[in-house]
Amino acid sequence: MDLKPATPNERRQYYREEWDVNDIPEFIRKTLTQREFGFDHMGRGPNDRYRVFQNTDYLRKFMRYRTPFAAYSSVAFYHKPRRRDGWIKAELVFDVDAKDIPIRSCGCENVCEICLNQAKDIVHGLIDTIQGDLGLSDIHVVYSGRGYHIRVLDDKVMGMDSDVRSQIVKYLVGSDVPRSEYSSHGMKYNLEHFTVPFGYPQVFTDRVKQALLNLNLDTEIDEVSKDIKKAVIKHRELLSEDQWGLFRKEIGPVRYARLVKGIASLNLTLVDAKVSIDLKRILRLPSSLHSGVSMKSTLIKNLETFDPFQDAVPKFVYERKD
Amino acid sequence: MVSISFLNPLSPEGKDIVRELGSFEGISDDIPELRRLVTRNPSQEIVDDKEIPSNYLELALKRIEWYIKKKHDREFNSRRYSFLSDYSITKYDVISFYLLCQAIGVKFGPNSRETRVMVEAQGDLIQERMGKLSIQESRLMVDQSLAMLLHDDMVHWTFFQELLSTRKIRLTELVLDNGELILNEEDFLHRFGSRIKHRNPDSMYQLLIGDELKELIMVKMIMQETEDYIKQVHEKARVMVEPNPILLELADEVAEVLAEPMQHYGYGSGRSGGPMKAGPLNPLAFPPCVKKALEGIKSGGRNDAIVLFMTPFVSYARLYPDVFRMNITKRVSDQDPQLQITENEVLPLIYEAAQRCVPPLFDDQPQEKVNINAKLGFGMHSTLKMEHEGETTWYTPMSCEKIKLHLPHLCRPDDVCKKIGNPLSYYNRRIWEVMNLDKEDSDSEDNPSSNNVDNIQNSDIQNSDIENSANNENKNSDDSNSGEG
Repeated sequence: MDLKPATPNERRQYYREEWDVNDIPEFIRKTLTQREFGFDHMGRGPNDRYRVFQNTDYLRKFMRYRTPFAAYSSVAFYHKPRRRDGWIKAELVFDVDAKDIPIRSCGCENVCEICLNQAKDIVHGLIDTIQGDLGLSDIHVVYSGRGYHIRVLDDKVMGMDSDVRSQIVKYLVGSDVPRSEYSSHGMKYNLEHFTVPFGYPQVFTDRVKQALLNLNLDTEIDEVSKDIKKAVIKHRELLSEDQWGLFRKEIGPVRYARLVKGIASLNLTLVDAKVSIDLKRILRLPSSLHSGVSMKSTLIKNLETFDPFQDAVPKFVYERKD
Repeated sequence: MVSISFLNPLSPEGKDIVRELGSFEGISDDIPELRRLVTRNPSQEIVDDKEIPSNYLELALKRIEWYIKKKHDREFNSRRYSFLSDYSITKYDVISFYLLCQAIGVKFGPNSRETRVMVEAQGDLIQERMGKLSIQESRLMVDQSLAMLLHDDMVHWTFFQELLSTRKIRLTELVLDNGELILNEEDFLHRFGSRIKHRNPDSMYQLLIGDELKELIMVKMIMQETEDYIKQVHEKARVMVEPNPILLELADEVAEVLAEPMQHYGYGSGRSGGPMKAGPLNPLAFPPCVKKALEGIKSGGRNDAIVLFMTPFVSYARLYPDVFRMNITKRVSDQDPQLQITENEVLPLIYEAAQRCVPPLFDDQPQEKVNINAKLGFGMHSTLKMEHEGETTWYTPMSCEKIKLHLPHLCRPDDVCKKIGNPLSYYNRRIWEVMNLDKEDSDSEDNPSSNNVDNIQNSDIQNSDIENSANNENKNSDDSNSGEG
């Protein structure tokens, strides 16, 4: 499918014939008056900001008449959203953009089915950790047009500041190599991350596995030579059976340490951390059109079965003549 | 038997001791019993009788002095402070702890260097004291303390919000399951036992959680409570009448003890004291991230790299490299009254970096020049004019932590990076080395290797006083939050 931009006419058609204000997820509609809205009318970034809608009808009319290039709403809730003042709390958000996945197996220019699927796998992993380790709920996944937004509305975390959020990001993506040396009663012991089947070491192991299985010779990793990458590719089937000890032995312990360190620092770009730590971010409005690629930003009901090329394509794309 | 208040003076036992004392009356009177306890301690080394604390106030100062000397004095002798780990001084120690917190709270407030030192000193002191206990004793103490601090058997990790926010603990250090922090052995075995293969679950518990993690959480929580207490005192003092002069005097003395290392031991890389003076920029001392940004940003993040990262770094490095140590907010014109240096040295370097971006930043985004002026404190205007100064704040340089998140492709740490938390601290550390090297070079011109900056051996003196305050970052990210890309 060709991901080309939508014309002004197509935008108009979308907002007048296809889009319904009730397609906006309930978690946004019911907090409408506390959120700031922003719009991009010309395709040059969201510079029409500080908009507030007193009810969905005003928003509906605005979208129908202005048919914006892009629409956004704040992850933050404010007492005075018009002035972005009186911050109450903010959703905890993770932005997985298929274009920016650090280790992509497809090598495409923009986004394609392969990297979008890879993004989906990453999202699955992150959600498992958000629920299983961090014990959070009220999680919504939105297809953004080029990737996925995970939006957590659990009150346990919505009041947290940027510093805590940055710690959460690091935990979820596995950006610190877990320590392997432990001591007890004066004795030193070695426990590699893959021998600990729970907690952060397990998260780290999962993320490293995901990266190694997708790695190719062109993947640039700090201080990791082509030889190491070749060895990884040669032996990585061991990882499918979780034979980590053998895998490490094949790579060599020193080179293995360098490899996981490199991957840990790449992991930091699995999500766009800026989005997660920004307490006043505006985020693409689910149900709105991503005009750059002519796709609908879509709230996902079932991530397993969601297929962006089926479920997020606006009608006008099928009606295109060329 | 050791009292819990010896580790945590804010515990109910500790509060009882304060209540018993009642008032400030007689607070500076001699306490012969305290002197006796100190001199009686078998591991105590006494060089001069004046070193023996003889009242609460002197004991309070000894606590701070111990910490400062331990950190900065190469000739530090721990035996001269043995009494600090002797639990028979508990009731005096608790009072001196409260005096310190109150003095610092009243005079300096919670965001001061004095508070940071007090909180860190308390953390170190607890660890020092724990180290002197038997394993059984220390386990008992940790369990009792934690029971008191955590209130409940099951604790959700979000309970540690404050500790995480101040980076006293890292989320990745905790063992979590379903949001709950796992500390108890039975709980651990119940949840993870069946998953553990080829290893003994009991010993895995001992290694991953055991004494170490519990102790860490206890220490950090007491540190946080200490910080919170100082904050409370500060807030109360603001609405109350005159503080007790004894506290103000003690606060001044604390400040004196803290000033000492600057005079005697020097800060940073073994350099010989004195404040960091502003001077011409020396690119040899730039950290790797700045060097990389100067080479030009090729892909996304050009604006952030130039406006949010380079502008504060270059301006502070040139005009006010001491900002974190001084902890005093200034304006550009305080350091450069005619704005000549800013116009002729600071802006050109920033513009050069912008020009090297691909595509050159100002080609498609000329408005970023205005944003650069804004980050220098001159409002949203296209030229630097004194009348606009103060409309915005002069942004302090981003910490390494923030750079890793915002501009991960710039962060290629070298050995010096491991010792600092902010690129400006890197610059301050290296500029001394580079300058000394220049000097050496001119002293002995037949030494070719001394010109090679990479050959410099880094001194291992702790520099944490400087970079810890680097946490003081601009929280107002209003104008930097664009929409999702």
